[in-house]
Amino acid sequence: MTDIALTPAPRRRRRRRLPLGLVVRYLVLLGTIALTIFPLAWLVITSLRNSADIFAVPVRVLPESVTYDQYVSVFSQYGLADYLWNTVAVSVATVVLVILIGVPCAYAMARFRLPGAKIVISVLLIMRMIPVVALAIPLFAVFASIGLLDTLTALVLTHTASKLPVAIWLLMGFIQDLPKEIEESAQIDGAGTVRTLVQIVSPLIAPGIGAAAVITFLFTWNDLLIALTLSSSEAAQTLPVGLTNFVSQFGIDWGAMSAAGVLMVIPTLVFVWFAQGLLVKGLVSGAVRG
Amino acid sequence: MSLAASPAGLQRRRKSPLVPSWQTGYLLAGPALIVMIAILIYPLGYSFVMSFYRWDLAAPSQHFVGLSNYTDTLGNGGFQQSLRVQLIFSALTIAIEVVAGIGVAVLVNGRLRGLKLARTLLLVPPMIAPAVVGLNFRWLFNGQYGLVNGVLRFLGLPEAPWLSDPNWALASVIIADVWQNTPLLVLLFLAGLQSLPQEPLEAAQVDGASPLDIFWHITLPLMRPIIMIALMLRIIDTFRTFDVVWLMTQGGPGGATSLITVNAYQLAFQGAAFGHAAAVSYIALFLSLALLGLLYGIPWARRKLRRAP
Repeated sequence: MTDIALTPAPRRRRRRRLPLGLVVRYLVLLGTIALTIFPLAWLVITSLRNSADIFAVPVRVLPESVTYDQYVSVFSQYGLADYLWNTVAVSVATVVLVILIGVPCAYAMARFRLPGAKIVISVLLIMRMIPVVALAIPLFAVFASIGLLDTLTALVLTHTASKLPVAIWLLMGFIQDLPKEIEESAQIDGAGTVRTLVQIVSPLIAPGIGAAAVITFLFTWNDLLIALTLSSSEAAQTLPVGLTNFVSQFGIDWGAMSAAGVLMVIPTLVFVWFAQGLLVKGLVSGAVRG
Repeated sequence: MSLAASPAGLQRRRKSPLVPSWQTGYLLAGPALIVMIAILIYPLGYSFVMSFYRWDLAAPSQHFVGLSNYTDTLGNGGFQQSLRVQLIFSALTIAIEVVAGIGVAVLVNGRLRGLKLARTLLLVPPMIAPAVVGLNFRWLFNGQYGLVNGVLRFLGLPEAPWLSDPNWALASVIIADVWQNTPLLVLLFLAGLQSLPQEPLEAAQVDGASPLDIFWHITLPLMRPIIMIALMLRIIDTFRTFDVVWLMTQGGPGGATSLITVNAYQLAFQGAAFGHAAAVSYIALFLSLALLGLLYGIPWARRKLRRAP
């Protein structure tokens, strides 16, 4: 009875009060969207201008004419293809390696009573906190001593090792959420450990594997510091290092740099659009569990 | 099939547990552990040891110098400046990002049209390369041709020496970092808000509490665990920040934006002082560990965090 009597009152109150509050909230939402998009939009706009337009004073907000010259010149003049290829090769190889050796490791850590597992897990967590530069300094010396400086191999090895802790941590969470009974019945049906992992567990944690792969790919793709330290020529330099070369070697060619920047951002946009769920899963469980 | 198998599994679990043997486990975990030991643990241990040596790649012999790399570093003016810059950068970015993150999350939480699109868009800045963010803000803040000064001129306001003046340069770097990382906190806080228990909020509404009271006395205390997680994430990350700064200012002008990582990088790869650089990078790690320890030392934070994962 009281419930029924009470409900109309707040509704009436809300109807009167809502507009102002709602307007403020929509303004905040709009402002957030605008502030998020605007710097990126400017990057795209700059990449579509010709040089005269870029160096116009006063600044023109909209380009006088749209040109793709900057995109052509990053390939023809600045040899972006090499950087692009290196970045793709390193990122893809890293993802494959991280998943291939990370999934079995996560499975073993999550399901087997390994002696020393607790130590390994706490080391995994601490690894996330290490500044990359602390790793880059000794790795430079190590790779120099074995002649692997300025090779894609060194980059792939380094990225694999440094992305493994997060990937394993993420995958462990997904495996622990599986009911054990499924694996037990598989084993009773005669499947060995490896077969259980490959045929039963892996398909069930496919979203986890996807999330780990996407996160690993993007963080490798985006990396500047490791590639900057370990590579010195077109043989192994990646796109972010290429961006720094735009600054030092050629003065600053803002149009070409923006075009290169746009090309760098495209994979992120693709993953955000098509694999948003996986990304959020990866980020949130990585954040909350870490 | 699974129906038939599960009772049998229940019966047999005691006799033969799923766990086969730890040898099999280590075979599975082995490759990953070996890679991490060889390429993470060993180099980090090596550089920790070398932080007590005079370590110069060109010199054939390296001799033990005890703590002198650390004492030299702590007494060095360049390092002291970069420590100051780091603390200002971390304090300001974290404060702005957490406050703005909570504010935006609380205000846009609920049934707003376009919120779904906003969630998608908010994922973009945290996931794009910090190098591109640095480059882009360097262009936006360009003194002569940059959009920001262009707009200021258009509005008849004085232009700012964004990247050429030490204080403005630090502000520019902070703005770029805030742009990139606040969205992630908004998403984190939105997720936190949605997992809050609804009863206390409804009870307060029925009692006629104002929205500000509800936020201050109910929402905020309930969100403590997620705020702690955000703080920890950002403390860890600000002490690792390098890329944005490197592309915007390379630590300049005059060291005004040289975060500790920038200082370590310059010592190692522009000054060839590897021992010093190793000491600096370890000081950065100790500092962020100490800050996390401080945070963890707050009793209510510890309680909430234990419950969170």
